[in-house]
Amino acid sequence: MNRRKRLFPGLAWASAVLLGLSPAAAQNTDKGVNLGLYRNQPPAPTGPAGKLADGTPDLSGVWLGGGANDADISDPRGLKAGSQVIMLPWAADLVKKRQSKEDPEANCLPAGIPRGSPYPWRIVQTPTHYFMLFEGNIHSYRQIFMNAQHPADPDPTWFGHSVGHWEANTLVVDTVGFNDKFWFDYKGHPHTEKLHTIERYTRTDQGHMTIEVTIDDPGAYTQPFTTAGRATLMPRAELLEYICQENNQDLQRLEGPARGPGGR
Amino acid sequence: MRGGFGITLASAILLASAGPVCAHHSGAAEFDSNKKIDLTGVVTKLEWTNPHAHFYMDVKDASGNVAHWNLELASPNVLIRNGWSRNSLKAGDQVNVTGAQAKDNSTVGTAAVITFPDGHKLTFLAADNEK
Repeated sequence: MNRRKRLFPGLAWASAVLLGLSPAAAQNTDKGVNLGLYRNQPPAPTGPAGKLADGTPDLSGVWLGGGANDADISDPRGLKAGSQVIMLPWAADLVKKRQSKEDPEANCLPAGIPRGSPYPWRIVQTPTHYFMLFEGNIHSYRQIFMNAQHPADPDPTWFGHSVGHWEANTLVVDTVGFNDKFWFDYKGHPHTEKLHTIERYTRTDQGHMTIEVTIDDPGAYTQPFTTAGRATLMPRAELLEYICQENNQDLQRLEGPARGPGGR
Repeated sequence: MRGGFGITLASAILLASAGPVCAHHSGAAEFDSNKKIDLTGVVTKLEWTNPHAHFYMDVKDASGNVAHWNLELASPNVLIRNGWSRNSLKAGDQVNVTGAQAKDNSTVGTAAVITFPDGHKLTFLAADNEK
């Protein structure tokens, strides 16, 4: 095995680790915890998850991780047991043709749902709206309308129209009205405007959250599938600015078929 | 191989050797890890920008010709959280840089390790200040 083959699979795996798909994502050091790309961070607390004054589970904080493997959403390590990603023939053909430079992410366009990034994000809860503020993902935000209904015919958008409700300690977010522009991952898994996602966020303790996302798109996949992701709290972290369009020199030099950060 | 990859190795690769780990595009689509670079020269400019910080350096060959290199780093946010500041690398600094060259063979690369004359180092991700 040559050096390239040794190096890049390691990076691909690291990408999965970044997104919190490995329980070992936080590695202890003498100065703190290595979490994703960030070394020597304060460790995530492990006490019981808290509640807001009105009794609603408290999801607030700065989190690192996401709902799916952003290198390849079909990787079994990022899927719920028994889930399988089976594309319709046109979608499978499209994945084979897609080029890295066409990836909306590389073009500083939104990542949609559920593709994550190695940058942290924050949840803000108000009585009527929940917000997800993304440091990466082009420094954008999502809004979730609590206990609301979808409009009859929403205009297609990058993040769709999201409504949320609580099922015990799990926040359930139902989203429709997507455009068909974003990619699920670096490999280029596609979707159509028929996409319907159901996200389930559960804060299992103060410092950790599981994120499951059911992806139902009969326009591109033979059956729904469910991802199994997780996020880790970054205590005392604050979001920083990230304006991707500022100096995106890479696009002009990207070559070859769509593939993960590590090359596969 | 998938199941056998340990977190220690993955972290070591990620945090120490720091190959083309890129947050918003495939590093493997831009840089060729088989095209190693080992450059010594003078930093002419630092761009503390997203989605990647870049620095530029002039590298003289044996016959005195100067090549202008453009070297990529992680984003400022990743660098800041790992101990860098925008003053860690400045115009006028004499440094050695190892890393990988762009696939298109231009004088563009990704910087894995930057070493100063006093021995302290910066990496693609982190300021180690190793002596």
